[in-house]
Amino acid sequence: MKRKSFRGGGERVEFPFREAFWMSVEQIRKRLKRSIIVVGSIALGISLLTHLEMTNVILATYMSSMGTTMEAYQFWLIIVSLFVCGIGLINANLIAIYERYREIGTMKCLGAMDQHVMKLFLIESLIFGLVGGVLGFSFGTITAMASSSVQLGINVLGFTPLEAILRYLAITTGLSVLLSVVSTVYPAWRAARLNPVEALRHNV
Amino acid sequence: MTDYIVETQSLTRHYEVGGFTVKALDDVNIQIVRGEYNSIVGPSGSGKTTLFNMIGGLDRPTKGQVFIDEIDIAKLDAYELAWLRCHRVGYIFQTFNLIPVLTAQENVALPMIFAGIPRDKREKRSVEMLEKMGLGERLHHRPMELSAGQQQRVAIARALANDPDIILADEPTGNLDLNTGLEIINILRELNQERGVTVIAATHDMKIIDVSDAIFWVRDGKIERAERRNSS
Repeated sequence: MKRKSFRGGGERVEFPFREAFWMSVEQIRKRLKRSIIVVGSIALGISLLTHLEMTNVILATYMSSMGTTMEAYQFWLIIVSLFVCGIGLINANLIAIYERYREIGTMKCLGAMDQHVMKLFLIESLIFGLVGGVLGFSFGTITAMASSSVQLGINVLGFTPLEAILRYLAITTGLSVLLSVVSTVYPAWRAARLNPVEALRHNV
Repeated sequence: MTDYIVETQSLTRHYEVGGFTVKALDDVNIQIVRGEYNSIVGPSGSGKTTLFNMIGGLDRPTKGQVFIDEIDIAKLDAYELAWLRCHRVGYIFQTFNLIPVLTAQENVALPMIFAGIPRDKREKRSVEMLEKMGLGERLHHRPMELSAGQQQRVAIARALANDPDIILADEPTGNLDLNTGLEIINILRELNQERGVTVIAATHDMKIIDVSDAIFWVRDGKIERAERRNSS
């Protein structure tokens, strides 16, 4: 009963998106503490950005004639905060993925390919980005509304168009996903291309 | 002609350590007969584990070849190598290497995900495998909640998940006490006899050596002696 082919009859090696997605969700759930820290750090960066943006939007629509635009210092504040957030994320991902080297080695012994490992980590980061983005946006919007209404009275909120809020939700969530995924690519790629023996040698 | 499932030809593996070349394996030629129980024996640092890694396609040789079913595994592409690890070979390690965040049942089901087996079938089969290993009561325990012997039985169930024809075991009893070790050896021997799985165990445990059909004594990266026991 020799089986000569290495692409055997009907026997595959695969890791479809659906399976990878559910495994990612499980991983996030089972490493909840780490997940909360990662999502929290994304949300923090995004909420600062949202706070500044939304404050501008609220004031601009309220005092439409005066036309408040973003100040240069705000722009740089956002850039710096996103940069710091990104560096922090790369660092967190390097550590988190390093802790999973043995697990990656084991999965490779069981038939996982480099791209399967990448897929798993990238889906996780996509989820972190989405959740962090929405949370960060919500938090930033609430603080922006709160601080503007404290300064100018509660009426100020009535002028904010829903359309602008939704637009900024899309922008900030997109940015958040980008931030999360980009900061995962390098650590994940470094881990995924290890051969099983190298990966299993790690004792954390 | 004897049916060899694994063969090596002048298999050599060098490591560069701090400017020195360490010859972990040096010109090793072995043949492993299909369906037999094989032991690779030698002191630690003799090259057993390196040989184990080479045969399992986990590491690439510096020189020479490993043939599985007469196919040179160095020539396989990434997909074929993954296929080999997924469907043909089951690995058992000294340190079990179970995934700590997954339950016993999920650990056994994992290789079946990569084999494309649908969820309901995976669950059914992994429960069956664990019940066969006497772990029917431990399905939803995580590795940390299991004893060493139980963990190794989960690892055996996982190794068998995709019905491989080779079981590679690296010091499977190395972290177990006498009785548990014996239990694991008996399970492996039964699997070998009932399913016809070829077992290759790297070990220095005399109890494993006793049940072997063939024994390869390794020293300083070379095969010192190849011995055949019962001709069964």
